[in-house]
Amino acid sequence: MSRPDTDRPYTESEIIMTAVQLVAPFILTYGLFITFHGADSPGGGFQGGALIGVVVLMLAFAFGARPTREWIGNGLITGLAAGGVVIFVGVGLGTLALGGTFLEYGLYEPFLGPDATKWGMEAIEIGGVAAIVSGVIMGLFFLTAAGFERVGTEDSSEPTSSGGEEA
Amino acid sequence: MSSVGIALAAFVIVTAVATALMRDVFSAIIVFAAYSLGMAVLYTMLLAPDVGLTEAAIGAGVTTILLLLTIAKTTRPSSEKLFAAIHWPAAFVSVVLAGVLLATVGAIPTENFAGGLTPVISNPDVTGHYLAETYNQTGVTNAVTAVLAAYRGFDTFGEAVVVFAAAVAVLVVLRKEVFT
Repeated sequence: MSRPDTDRPYTESEIIMTAVQLVAPFILTYGLFITFHGADSPGGGFQGGALIGVVVLMLAFAFGARPTREWIGNGLITGLAAGGVVIFVGVGLGTLALGGTFLEYGLYEPFLGPDATKWGMEAIEIGGVAAIVSGVIMGLFFLTAAGFERVGTEDSSEPTSSGGEEA
Repeated sequence: MSSVGIALAAFVIVTAVATALMRDVFSAIIVFAAYSLGMAVLYTMLLAPDVGLTEAAIGAGVTTILLLLTIAKTTRPSSEKLFAAIHWPAAFVSVVLAGVLLATVGAIPTENFAGGLTPVISNPDVTGHYLAETYNQTGVTNAVTAVLAAYRGFDTFGEAVVVFAAAVAVLVVLRKEVFT
């Protein structure tokens, strides 16, 4: 049984809601900048993806986990996390298919021009790492916020015990 | 640089010890967030802004939120005492380990941290090679990103999949099929 207060907003504080509304767009912009400019300045997919994920966590803290969860949706989180892995693997296997080694970006030069190595790195940083990290952070947050529900899983073979009640 | 760095190092050590000794889990999490923030500033001062960004975003931000959510989901024993009783064997092992690690510090040139101009480079040949060749070979100017995504791309692939596996593992543990 989930406790009734878990799906309500964590706070109804006007200060927190206003602060998040003010700060969130800037953090999202900063996260995107860190992600997309990671090749030429400090940062990269991991840091930028973490910041993008944190924006969703901030919104959830201000406006409650359940509305944010319904707004984001499972498809976006799964798409980011799994799609990032697919893109990363795809770029790596593409070079294997072209007869090279894993992630040997130079082999993309016939398609992408002389900057193929840079484009390949951007692809795995932005499309791969940033997507995975942001998706996983959102997913971990919503999973932890929802918690463990012993009852309600219809495919569980063992009968629901009385120990499922949380204190 | 020097005095600020020493003050930050002292702050980080104090918060780390306090995290280990705090009786209340909530207090420990807050102090741990302060520790991460101090480490982030310290990494930035040591010319590792990439690591500093990660520490600030993951260590001080995401980890704190996830830990706070976790204690919100569990029972939190209340206690009058501020610090827990010290487990002396564990403290002994910690001190010995810290001593061993400190003994290796002498192998690293630390002029820069003390205010000099020599960068902290443990192997100048390897570091110099990457700094000199990165732009010619990959076309990007951030050598850290080049090492991460090009020279050691397969390692990064493993790390990314480990992050993905963490989400899958939590799904399995919580017996869920969707994140929301």
